[in-house]
Order: sequence, then structure tokens, then C-alpha cells
Amino acid sequence: MCCLRQLFLVSLGVTAWALHESDVGMVDWNTKLIGVPHDSPHTAPVFHGDYVLAATNNNVLAALNATDGSIVWRSIYDAEDPIMAFSHHDNSVSSLSGPGGSTLRTYDLETGHLILEKQLHSPVDGRLHEPQNLGISLLRSTNPSLNSTAYLALTNGDSVTHLDETGDTLWTWNSPDQGSLVLYSHLIADPSTVYLVGLAKSFASYTLHVTTLSATTGELIASVNIPANIKDERSKFVAVSSQTGPTTTTCVNWLEDGALKAAVLTPDLKGQVMALPGVKYDRISDFGLSTNGQFLAIKEGGAAHVMHFDAQAYSLRPIWEFGDAAPSQVQSDSHFVGSLGRDGQPRVARVYWSNAHNKAIHQTLTINLSEGKASASGFAFPFQTFDHGVVRHVAFDGSSTGETHENTRTLLTTTTGSIQLWQHDKMQWVREEALASIQVAEFVELPEKKVVMSHAVMDEEGYFERLQRQLSDAKNLPQYLANFARRFATGSYATVTTSAASSSAEDTLTRDAFGFRQIIVAATPYGKLFGIDSSNGRVLWSRVLGLGWAAKVGGTIFPTKMFVTRTVSDLEGPQIVLVTQRRADNSLVDTVLFHVNALTGDDVREEHQSIPRDLLQGLDAVMGPLVDVFMLPNENRTIVMLDEYLQARLYPDTPSAQAEFESFVPSIHLALRTDVPGQRQILGHQLTLNLELSQFYVAYPTWSLSLPPKEEIRAIIPNTRGPVASIGKVLGNRMTLYKYLNPHLTLVLTSSPPSSTCGIYVLDVVKGSIIYHASVPAAGGVCDMQATLTENWLVYHYFDDEFSGTGESKGNRVVSVEFYEGDGPDDKTKSSELSSYSNKTLHISAYEQSFIMPHGITAISPTLTKFGVSMKDIIVANRKNSIQSIPRRLLNPRRPKHKPTSEEQEEMLVQYDAVLPDDARLVLSHNYEVANVRRIVTSPSLLESTSLVFVYGLDLFFTRIAPSGTFDVLSENFNKVQLVLTVAGLGIAIMVTKPMVRRKWLRERWY
Amino acid sequence: MKMVRTLSLLGLILSWSSVIFAVNLHGYIQWNNLCPNYGALASAKVLLDAGKMSGRVTRNGNFSILDVPPGTYVLSVLSHDYSFDHVRIDVSPSEPLPEVRPYIFGTPLLMTTSVSLPYPIVLIPRHKNRYFSPRESFNLLGMFQSPMMMIMVLTGVMMLAMPYIMKQLDPETLDGLKGQQGKAASIEKSIQSGDPKGLSALLSAGEETKASMPVAKSNTGPSTLQQRKGGKANKRR
Repeated sequence: MCCLRQLFLVSLGVTAWALHESDVGMVDWNTKLIGVPHDSPHTAPVFHGDYVLAATNNNVLAALNATDGSIVWRSIYDAEDPIMAFSHHDNSVSSLSGPGGSTLRTYDLETGHLILEKQLHSPVDGRLHEPQNLGISLLRSTNPSLNSTAYLALTNGDSVTHLDETGDTLWTWNSPDQGSLVLYSHLIADPSTVYLVGLAKSFASYTLHVTTLSATTGELIASVNIPANIKDERSKFVAVSSQTGPTTTTCVNWLEDGALKAAVLTPDLKGQVMALPGVKYDRISDFGLSTNGQFLAIKEGGAAHVMHFDAQAYSLRPIWEFGDAAPSQVQSDSHFVGSLGRDGQPRVARVYWSNAHNKAIHQTLTINLSEGKASASGFAFPFQTFDHGVVRHVAFDGSSTGETHENTRTLLTTTTGSIQLWQHDKMQWVREEALASIQVAEFVELPEKKVVMSHAVMDEEGYFERLQRQLSDAKNLPQYLANFARRFATGSYATVTTSAASSSAEDTLTRDAFGFRQIIVAATPYGKLFGIDSSNGRVLWSRVLGLGWAAKVGGTIFPTKMFVTRTVSDLEGPQIVLVTQRRADNSLVDTVLFHVNALTGDDVREEHQSIPRDLLQGLDAVMGPLVDVFMLPNENRTIVMLDEYLQARLYPDTPSAQAEFESFVPSIHLALRTDVPGQRQILGHQLTLNLELSQFYVAYPTWSLSLPPKEEIRAIIPNTRGPVASIGKVLGNRMTLYKYLNPHLTLVLTSSPPSSTCGIYVLDVVKGSIIYHASVPAAGGVCDMQATLTENWLVYHYFDDEFSGTGESKGNRVVSVEFYEGDGPDDKTKSSELSSYSNKTLHISAYEQSFIMPHGITAISPTLTKFGVSMKDIIVANRKNSIQSIPRRLLNPRRPKHKPTSEEQEEMLVQYDAVLPDDARLVLSHNYEVANVRRIVTSPSLLESTSLVFVYGLDLFFTRIAPSGTFDVLSENFNKVQLVLTVAGLGIAIMVTKPMVRRKWLRERWY
Repeated sequence: MKMVRTLSLLGLILSWSSVIFAVNLHGYIQWNNLCPNYGALASAKVLLDAGKMSGRVTRNGNFSILDVPPGTYVLSVLSHDYSFDHVRIDVSPSEPLPEVRPYIFGTPLLMTTSVSLPYPIVLIPRHKNRYFSPRESFNLLGMFQSPMMMIMVLTGVMMLAMPYIMKQLDPETLDGLKGQQGKAASIEKSIQSGDPKGLSALLSAGEETKASMPVAKSNTGPSTLQQRKGGKANKRR
């Protein structure tokens, strides 16, 4: 019975909108991303055969195809399980993740299938170090006698675990001091011995500590303090090992007062400290060849030495000097990266930017150790620094090098978050991974296709000229006629299920018939702004945000908000203003505005565009951070920014904008949070001008709402207001429920750790009265509430872990609340135009119902249509990495608990059922995986029935949804052929019968 | 020194006690026809409650969730394409192994069920998500199978075939039929008298055609009929 009812419900929901297999890729698109790769030593991208392995800032471990840049596989880690280190071995990839490196996972290299998951220690026992992955290391060792591989993992900086291939622990060793004295950071193994090297704190400096363990049993062999005097924490030390035949010799190198010192390690740790006299070094670093005996030492002048440790001769010497490596006016700092060539000999790549050539320079050093020779050669490649910023990390495929540079492959990670693979001087592919961390995104409508008017108004036009013009205007006529005939014959009109991408070769930015093609402007924290075509997901333009004066000291630009200040209906064409916070590296924070043409990415404030395009320079609007920003709904669409002194600053700051702003001032009400120690407050503000204090309008508090002690404000979410089509709901008994449409509603989400609850408040920002308040349990002390407020409808989600009462159960709850005016039907208070100071604003009735869902959600948003006539569905992103719609009919808080009466049936109410059906046909993202969704943006199209949905998080996803069915276009089962055939049949019937009728009439007259 | 040893012993006992009161959950996915292997399942995760504790499914279908403190949990599977049953897990300090019970989603958690599921936990893929609904395609046969079309076609056929059928009928039945038709036509005319011309005229014309068709063809019929007809015709003339 339950099943039947569910089926019925589902069919109700699905009839409105169903996806067909042929629509895939036509109405939607999906961009799978991995995020910007880490650049710290244990997790930086590496080449492995034809794969590129990378761990990213989005906490994804991924394998890319090095030939075309596609994702072969990716594994998404939880936020509380950060990737600390990964290593590759033959055909598997292993990772250590979690606090202190608590979890070991192994994947198949080709498929990404998870082979092994093993917890080495409980995540709560993980210790935090700075940097995060210090003291964590993973080695794969091969045991040639058993023909098996084993894992050696250094975790927490103090324990070593040896595991066999299946993940069974062979032995574990824990440091006796549990990391309090010695923090081990390097793990080197040979078949018989495991070397652990770490830093021990002594007075005013660090010393080295080495411990050796037996590889077979894990027993301690020796533990020795090497009297080193490492002052500079930055360079620390480098441990290199070199293999000669079956034995591995390890050497630890460090700097002491600029002098390079080294100690060769033996299992019993009896040896001498050597020193390399004469040369003073600034720092030493490992550049990827530490298992082959090479490392990099930078001299004080800036020259870089490639050092080589020869295990046979027990000697350490520089084998190559890059003499001009120092950064200067003509060149940038160099990236050095080493890799083994196909012949097993080391290769070193050096990449730097040359201002003289305006190109990036790649230098390859080929070392032949047996002959003791090395040679360097190089080439320049056209790195687009204005499009991609600065190179942040270089990975180098040593096996691709040969006699020439023809096949040399380098992988660059740039500051704007792109990953590029260069083969010689050609870019093979680029991935814009900054899109995996979009901060703000907005839809911008495209202009209509302009009718080409080739003639300007000319007074004197001869006959032939006119004829010529008209002929040239008519040149498209045959094409038009052909199109018309084709359309008429085949019925191939633009339908809602066709792709909105322009089919013509010449790609002009014009909208399609229904306005499905728009531009999504997205800003990322990597200082890059993207314009994305909503019809296919292609990046149409991108701009790198300039740092302004902070370029000298360095800094980051963090997007806060984006406003569409001009739309297609304006003369200037669509424009957006991006409000950002620029944090310079000298800790100064400024508010910077970027004003951009949404169609081209051109700077609006700049009169003439430079070609090729330079960095996009912003306007330093406010010296200091921003408290709040909003856009006035006036003609000018002025942006109002509240600085830290609560002064209202305008953009554009013109007299007309100022005048308009002044007319708006009395109606501006703001809710701002203030932090009193121990207690959080929400203060309502209004603006006033007091010339004695400031030349700007300043916000002053009007009301305050004190939250209970220790209750934290998590988010203030404004009401998402689209156009309101109806102010009431007509019931089955012809009475009307009037919607509570107070325009000043705001949603506040809080968390209260002491009582382990989360709070949700709906506030009237004019006088601070609480319209609705609910307190829900925080599952496991975490508030993971998602909520959305649209018109008079509030929907929120939480996990309920209270199950002790009768009939209760743990699970994901969705609560749907609707606010109506007065006590019930036909009670009208005209809330939408009511003065906020009226007592009647609190005179409301709320309908509320709770539902359960099988899986948790990460984002929630209502659909938005042009006039608000269509029903509003709720779109959620669930933890199964799919996007799902919940029909409004199922979430109606007025669903009766009994069998619907005829009146209720008339209202299309269905009986209440606590379980929201988990129907796959409601999944908008179908086969696509859309992971870690942070926000769902909806936008109206030109069709009232259809809403556009853009989802961003790790992945990007776009689709269209028609909550009430596509009632304003012909239904998809409308059959033009049938219609034509029927009409034709009737026509033939008339033609056949007409002579008969005429004959008969004639006969009747005659006889 | 002794003090230190006692302390460390105490610490050891404490750490042991925390180990005792946590259970490691193990289980596996039972491959079936719906989901034959890891390749079909893709990356999947097993969650306790909201996901604070979780474990990933490995290639051989196994999963484990470690250090689960005592309590009652709902175990669910996060899989993009497959649905699994929810399972209730009870971990109690007195029992070394957790209890596994079926849990029907949407029912109270503490419903007393005697049914106990085996441990290690076995999870069976229940159904594969089907995201698409088939498109209604146009076919000619289907079009003619609809009742409306059938009626239309039948009427058309009847209209054309009527004269020939009439011809085959013997005169008496035809006479009776004609009388009936005449009556019906007169009623119809009286109803339609208020109607504007045009469509109704065409309709009535059609009616008349049918009614008078036998007349035109009956010239070859028996002479009595012909005479009567002739007389009528004369009158009209």
C-alpha cells in the first residue's frame, strides 16, 4: 500500500518534467574538475608514464591523461580527511590522508579502483604540524625475493608502520618520546634497514636526529643525535640516497652557517660529519631526485648548484652550476625540477620567465653520471602570462627528453589555477581548475540577434545604389525561404529540448529563441574572472584580476559579491560589477571593484581596450574591509558599500547616483552582526547623514537582537525574491489564504555548541521582530543546516539524531513552512504594502510540515521564473553527488493527514506522507557526477515555464527545469506529422465529396 | 621512576578502556546481477548516521568503519547509481559484536524486530537508478490504432461504400430505411432551423446525399418504384 502511494506520488511529481535519454548533453552539460594541484613536495603533481598524478586544494587525488588532459579517474576525499602525501609504484597509487596521515589508501593506476583502505591510527590521535604534511611520508618498497611490494608509512612524525601488499601490518614502531623531542620527517629504506631522519629541538637551534630500524622486524638498531646546528628553519635539511647495485647509501645534508655539511648513514650510525669547504650556500632543497643522489644548493649570490652524492666514492660535489639563476630585473625566480630520463640518468629542468624575451625559458640539463659529463640546452616557449598569471609549480617528464627538445613535456601550475602541459614550445592542453573553487557566479542575459542594417541613413542615394543595397539586403532571402520551407515541412522549430548553442560557425553572442543561452560570469579566488557560455559550458572569455598597488608586495583577491548593473535592455549592454576584498601580503585589506562588460570581458572603466589584453585593473573603492554591500533597485543600479566605520560609499559615485541614493535612504534597513565577547548580536541599522561626523551617510543601530550566550551566527541569508504572481492561494471552499509577503524578511542560521542545537530565525529587518524560530538538534555537534526562503515559503534541512522517543527515527529531515496573513483564510492584512511599524506584521499563521529524506544535502535553492507564475520547485544537491528536484506538490505544508476531501482534491493536495520519494527520475543530473556542491544558482529564461539551473562546487553543472511542465510551448508529444496528415486527409475527403455533393444538388434541382 | 611506571600503566589501562568501548564494523557488498562488480558500482561510501563515521567500499566489495562507540546507528550507502537498504546497527559495550537489524526507511528506529541480520554486514544492491523516461515516438500504425482515427477512417469508408451497400439491399428494407431516414432528417431540420448556413448546410447536404443516393441509382429498379418516383418528380417540376 505504502509502495503504491509512493508510486502515485512519484508519478504526480514526474509528470511535470521528465528527462529523456536523448536530452543528455542537449539541455545540460557537466564539467568535471579536480581543483588546483598542491605544490608542496609530497603532494605536488608528478608524471607517471602517460599519467599525471595530482593532489589538489579541493582535496581530490586524480590521474590525468597526459596526452589530452582528460580525467582518467579521481577520488574525492572528505574535508576532514586532507591528503597529506601520495606515492606511485608500478600500477598503483597510494595516499596518506587525515590528521597526521591516519589513513592509507591504494588505487589502481588505470581505473582508480580502490584496492586498499587502512587506518593507521585514529584520526583523533592525529597531531597537527606546520606545515600540515610535515612528518608524514609514504614509501613503497619492493621485496625482490618475495616479488611483492610493501608499504612503509611515517605518520604523525613519530611512528612508522610497515604493511604488506594486502594492508596487514607487519610491524609498527613508535618513537619513545611520542614526537615531543624529535619530529621525524624523512623516511629512507633499503632492503635491510629503515632510516628515520628528523629534527630535534635544542637550545636556539635544531639538531638532526637519526634512527635506524630493522626492515624485517622493526626493531631499533640505533638512535643517534647528529650535532648539527641548523638555525634557519626554512632550508632545513635534505636526505639523499644513492643506489649502487643492491645496496643503498643514504646521506643527510644540511647547512651550518652557510657551509654545507653531510653525514653518510650506516645502519649502526657510526660515521663522521663531512663538510664541503669553500662555498657558502644560502639554502638547499630537494627537487625530485633525492633517491638518485642529487639535490639543489643555492649559493648566496643566487647561482644554483646541482649537487651529487656518489655512493661509491662517498663524495659530495657540485656537478653543474646554473650561474644566472638569481632573480633580477630581466628574469624571474627559477623553478628547478629533476626527473629520471629513459636511460636512468638524471635530467634537470629549469623554467623561468624572461622579461627580455617576454617568454618563458625552459632549460634542460642532461647529466651523464658514468661519464661525469653534463650538458644544458634550452628553448623559449610562449607562456601567456596575461591570461594565466605566473608559474607556481613545474613538473617535468624526464623520460620524454631525447636528443632534441621535440618531445620534452612539462606540466605547469599557474597562480590563476590552470594546469598546462607543454610539449616543447607548444601547449598541448590546459585545464582551468580555478573553476573548481568559484566564489560567486551570476547569470547574464544575452542580446537578441541584431537585424543587420547595412545602410546608414543616406539622403542622396541613386537608383542603382538603392538597387544594389536592396539586392545585398536580399541575399539572405533564399536561405530564409529554404529555412521556412524546411521548418514548415519537418516541424523542426526551436523546441525546449534542443541545444541552445548556436549552430552557425560564426559565433556571435546572441540569445536563442527562448533565452536559454546566457552567460555565466564566475569569479574565483585565484584572481581570475570567467565568462562561461551556458549552452555548452565553454569559457568564452577570461580576465586575470590585477593587484593594483599590491602587485609590488603580492596579495590575493577574494571575490565577495557580483552584481549585474546593466542588462540587455540597457543601452550600454550587459555589465557586471565584481566586489572583491584584496588582501595584500603586508596584511592590508582593501575593497576593490572590477567593472566588466559581461559579453566580452572588457573593462568598462577603460575607454580604449589594449590589444593584446592586459591585466584587468580594479578600482580601489574603499581603503579597508567591507561590512556589507548591496545594490539599489534604482535606474542607475548604484552599488552601496558599507566600510568598517559603517559609512555608505557609492559606486558609481556620481551626483545623480547620490541623489537617487538619498531618496532611497529612508527605506534602507540592514541587519548586521556584531560580536560582543561571549554573546552575538544582530543589530538593525538605518542610514543617516551627519556632516559633523562624516561626509558619508553612516549607519546607526535601530534595534538589537541578542542571541542566547555562546550561540554563533553561521549565516545571514536574504530572502530570494523573484516576481510574485499571486498574493494569495484560493482554497477548495473558495476562501483565500493571503501570502505573508513582507519584503524585509531575512533568514539567520545559528549554532549553539553548549546545548548542541542549531537555530533558524526568520527576522523582520526593519524592527528586528522574530517571525519564525526553530531550534533543531545538531547531529554530532555539527550544524549542517541548509535553508532557503522564497516569497512566503521557508524550506530547511537538518539531520535529526534524536530517536529515543516513540515513533522517532534518525534521519535527514526537510521542513517546509509557509507563512500566511492573519489567522486563516480570508484574513487579509496586506502584508506586502504594510508599514513595518504596524502591529499587524506579526499577525501571521504558519503552516509547517516535516518530511524525511534518505540522504543529506549540501545546497538548496528554489527555481526562479520570469513572472513567478510557474510553481516553485526546490532543487537540492545531495551527498550522492547528484542534483535533485523536489516538486512543490510534495513539499506543500498543507498536505492533509487524511484522505483528501473533494475540496482538497480540487486544490491538488495529496495525502501527507513523511517519506519524500527517492525517485531517480527527479534527479536532474542523471548519470553525471556533480561533487561537493556549494551553491545552486537559478535564473529565469524567456519562457515562463522554464528556469535555468547552474550548480557549482568541485564540478560545474547546468540544466533547465520546468516545474509546472512546459505549458507555454507545444508539448513534446505534440505530433506535427499527425496534424498535417489529418488536415491533408480531411482536405482529400472534401475534394472527393465536393463533386458528389454538387452532382446531387444539381440532380435535386433537376428532378 | 615507579611513579612514572604507574602512570604509564594507568595510561595504558585508559587507552585500553577506550579501545574496548569501540567496535570495528566490517561488511561487504554482495554483487548480484544488478551490480556485478566494482566497475559498475564506482566509488561508494558507507555512512553511519549523517556521515561522521564512514568507510569506503574497496574493489573486492569490502568496507570497514573503525572505532564505533556504543550506540544505535543507521547505516546507509552513498552510491551514485544504486539504491541499498538502510540497516540499523546496535553497538553495546557488553556485546563483542554489533547487532545488525533491518530498518525500513521512514519507520520508527526502535521498532522491536526480532529479525536479526548476519554479521559481517551484507549489503545487497536493490535497484539501479533509471533516470530517463522513454520518449513517446511517432509511428503511423500507432496513430491509426487510436479510437478517434479508427472512427474517422470507418466513417470515410462507410461514406464511400454506402451506395454500393444500398444497391445490394432489397427494395422493401430500403423503403423502410428511407422512411426512417426521412423522419430523422425532418427532426434534424427542425433542430437546425435556427442554425446559420454554412456548416449546417454542408452537413444536411451530406445527409441528403445519403438519403437521395438510392433515388438516383434506383432507376434500374422495379417499375412501380420508378413510377412513384416519376410522379413525385413530375409534381416538383
